[in-house]
Amino acid sequence: MTTTLDTGTGTPTGTATAASARGLTRTYGDGDSTVHALRGVDLDLPAGRFTAIMGPSGSGKSTLMHCLAGLDAATSGTVTVAGRDLAGLDDTALTLFRREHIGFVFQAFNLLPMLTAGQNILLPLELAGRAVDRDRYDQVVAVLGLADRLGHLPSQLSGGQQQRVAIARALVTQPDIVFADEPTGNLDSEASAEVLGHLRRSVRELGMTVVMVTHELDAAAYADDVVVIHDGAVTAHLTDPGQDQLVAALRGRVA
Amino acid sequence: MRTVLVASMRHHTRRYVAASVAVAIGVAFIVVVGMLTGATRSGLTADVGAPVRGADHVVSTSTTEEVDRLVEAAADSGVPALTLGYAMEPVTRDGVQLAATVDVAEASLDPRLQWQQLEDGRFPAAAGEALADVNRAKSNDVRLGDVVRVGTGDAAVDVEVVGMVDSPAAMGASLYVPWHDLRRLEDTLWVHAVAWGGSAAEARTAAPDATVEPAADWVAARQAEISRGVDVIAIMALLFVAIALFVGVLVITNTFSILFAQRMRDFALLRCVGVTRRQLRRAIRLEALALGLVAAGVGVVLGALAGAGLVALVRRWFTDMGPAAVDPVWTGSAFAVGTLVTLGAAWLPTRTATRVLPLAALRPDTGVDVRSAAGRWRLGLAALCLSGGTALLALAVAGSSLPAMLAGGVVSFVGVLLVGPVLVPWLIRLADRLPASGPVRRLATGNAVRNPRRTATTAASLLVGVTLTTAILTGLASSRTAIDRDMDESYPLDASITAVDAPLEASLVGRVAGTAGVTDARGLDGTVATVGRVDLPLLGVGGDTGVVRGPADLAPADGIVRLPYAVVEELPTRLGDRVWEDAEITVVVAGRERTLRVETGSGWGRAGLVSPATLAALDPEPRPMAVWARAGDGTDAEDLSGDLAALAGAAGAELGGGFANRTWVDLQVDILTGAVVGLMAVAIVIALVGIANTLGLSVLERARENALLRAMGLTRRQLRRAMAVEGLLLSSVATVLGTAVGLVFAWVGVQVMVAGVVDGAGFTVPVWQLAVVAAVAGLAGLAACVVPARRAARVTPAAGLALD
Repeated sequence: MTTTLDTGTGTPTGTATAASARGLTRTYGDGDSTVHALRGVDLDLPAGRFTAIMGPSGSGKSTLMHCLAGLDAATSGTVTVAGRDLAGLDDTALTLFRREHIGFVFQAFNLLPMLTAGQNILLPLELAGRAVDRDRYDQVVAVLGLADRLGHLPSQLSGGQQQRVAIARALVTQPDIVFADEPTGNLDSEASAEVLGHLRRSVRELGMTVVMVTHELDAAAYADDVVVIHDGAVTAHLTDPGQDQLVAALRGRVA
Repeated sequence: MRTVLVASMRHHTRRYVAASVAVAIGVAFIVVVGMLTGATRSGLTADVGAPVRGADHVVSTSTTEEVDRLVEAAADSGVPALTLGYAMEPVTRDGVQLAATVDVAEASLDPRLQWQQLEDGRFPAAAGEALADVNRAKSNDVRLGDVVRVGTGDAAVDVEVVGMVDSPAAMGASLYVPWHDLRRLEDTLWVHAVAWGGSAAEARTAAPDATVEPAADWVAARQAEISRGVDVIAIMALLFVAIALFVGVLVITNTFSILFAQRMRDFALLRCVGVTRRQLRRAIRLEALALGLVAAGVGVVLGALAGAGLVALVRRWFTDMGPAAVDPVWTGSAFAVGTLVTLGAAWLPTRTATRVLPLAALRPDTGVDVRSAAGRWRLGLAALCLSGGTALLALAVAGSSLPAMLAGGVVSFVGVLLVGPVLVPWLIRLADRLPASGPVRRLATGNAVRNPRRTATTAASLLVGVTLTTAILTGLASSRTAIDRDMDESYPLDASITAVDAPLEASLVGRVAGTAGVTDARGLDGTVATVGRVDLPLLGVGGDTGVVRGPADLAPADGIVRLPYAVVEELPTRLGDRVWEDAEITVVVAGRERTLRVETGSGWGRAGLVSPATLAALDPEPRPMAVWARAGDGTDAEDLSGDLAALAGAAGAELGGGFANRTWVDLQVDILTGAVVGLMAVAIVIALVGIANTLGLSVLERARENALLRAMGLTRRQLRRAMAVEGLLLSSVATVLGTAVGLVFAWVGVQVMVAGVVDGAGFTVPVWQLAVVAAVAGLAGLAACVVPARRAARVTPAAGLALD
């Protein structure tokens, strides 16, 4: 168990980097009303691991995720995902890059209401015009326990089931990295546990890289690594932290 | 509550733009119609009183004898008198026809009754002098000092143009000649009244059966008559306004429904914090009222500007149009109608919206409700309307009943609109079965059918315009076919030059054929025959001449003579009766007598037609007696008749033929078609505003969803394409449905209205016109998504996801 405090760039030894940021800054507005959402973040996210980005609301964790995922452009600094610098890409190139390399799970409005669960899962492949890898699809559906729900519309699924469909959709394209934005924000504790369990299984069993933004301690406990962010800066990057270690890290930023 | 109202108005202003555009267009349409008809009315009625200004009374009469007596009595007692009426005669100058029919009225020699406004020259002082309307003279290139011949044959008079006058539209004529000359044109002269400078008693003495009234009363009656004529036009135009407004109602209702659905949580929240249902309803209705007032106001201003512009434009060509003026009552009504239409259109959606439970605000937001499908009662009502409407239409066809047709049309169309929420999505899904489907089109189809009622209402607005345009265009095309056939029968020849008593030069055929606009000319041999006491050219017509229009080739069988009605009328009574009763007549050529069977007809000039064999039996050496010509489509009728009249005049022959009438009727149908399409275009424009509106509002609603799609790899271009396909699906389904329904309506209309009047009227589908309508409607649907699609694609995924 390694602990790196306030170094920001700690990389667990022996693993490749799925995504990294250097001097990442994001500001909104200008003049007096400037908001510094991110202030020079340096971060390396290891591949094949389940990383949680934690912080209170307004800490910049969602902005960090959006920038890392190519949904939002950085004001300065670089973002590299799957070995590709996102800075030089225009909107279309960025979209195509997301299509190929990144999967998403959002808090709500995750599924298109007029498509069935199965159609929702296959949508990214269709958009990319890629052939469906049946084995992969069956495997993902099995891992997430959705086999008997594929023909249902989102409105006919429970919240937990909807999030599992969203996870399946993120995984089916075999992306280099999956970003999950408060995936359990709208769920009760039982459904949350189920969804988080599935996310962890997808890392263990399918070898995926998952980065999850959350403000819930319970959710973060499922992750391998935890990045703590506060006021636009990374304050801790913990590898396999224990519960008390995590609490201490979160307390530390309060103190 | 006022704070909420003002804040929400401010917040949602942009979303109301499309609805206000729809209202404003409708109101502007009414205002423009009002200004155009108002200007026409004031122009036409302005100087109705001018001809009787110098007279105290007007004597209305219909018999020529009374007119003669009045004129004589006036001359005897020195009372000023002016006949009101005109003759319609051809006018020639130096043997060249200037116009085939010119309205000729009396020019008074009495200065008190010289009411026209003199522009140049002087008023006539004696018979043989004439006044010409300055505008008409200009178009025919007639100048002061020209001598023109009015009328034909023995009755023709030569007059010298001594003055140019300006005269008003309603009462004016093109040429004014003194009574002495006018009286000779008695064949076509029609005098309906005499302006009388003397007392009523004097007039009654001269014409005991005539109506004598003060000049002022007579003028008021004429003005009312003209006004009624203009009112009929205004009412016709208002019919199209009503259609446009109906489409507007569909657009506004849809806008409110969508907006209220989007604001459902706001409403629920307001109810949570203590707003009563009644307060909420009032707030929303006030919002609709404010929207209606603003949009109607904008419409009035736009309409006034457009109306003033149009009137000014029209006055440049049509000088009898009055000045543009805004009628306060009419404009006020337009404003009120616009406001009320908006309020009315918001009524139903408001009821639905205010039924929201306060609890709805506390529930998690489930996004848009996708289950607004058709209710059972709605489908039942639709079935009832469709079957009832069809029955009425069948009844209308069977009984040629116009009211049944209109009722059936309206009822069955309401049925189509009611069944829309089921029919339109079904058609859209059907369109999706077309090959080459991809994810983008699947997405577009899914979006287009996810809210069936919204989709159906949007499609319905376009459906109205396309259906009516299709029905009217097809109906007019079918009528045109029927009219064409009728014209072929009445006017088989475009032009005929027929000798009067001496043969024509053989070279005339060549000269006629060489005239611009003539595509084919045939010379006919004949002889001069005597029928009764009437001398008449007899033409030998055999087989296909190549110049006769229509299926009948005018060639009679052996032993038959075809005589024009007019010639039979000229015959002595005894012979005429023989023609009508026994269909027989005796024809004499150079002493040779032959009794032939008679067929009557018209359209080939003043000549009898026989077969070549019959002609040979009467006259072994026939000589050229006539030239028949066929004109090319699009030839200017005035130019053609002018050129041919010159040839005919030089040859001492008569010019006849129906080309001028044919082109005139064609022009009328063209004008009608153009006017109808132009008026319907307003409804279609409003419908397109509606499509843009629905798509635009849906974009706001789907912001998160679109962001999600973009995050997952949908490119901007694909998103724009999905929107475009959605709009195209909507507009093309409405177009296909509208064309189909419109064709059915047109077929019924032709059966009811045309088939009853013209035998064997066919059903003609103007394929090209309909294709243009379909293409315009479909492409305009595409154009309607340009703005919404750009707006949707501009949002970055991160910004879209941050919305709630």
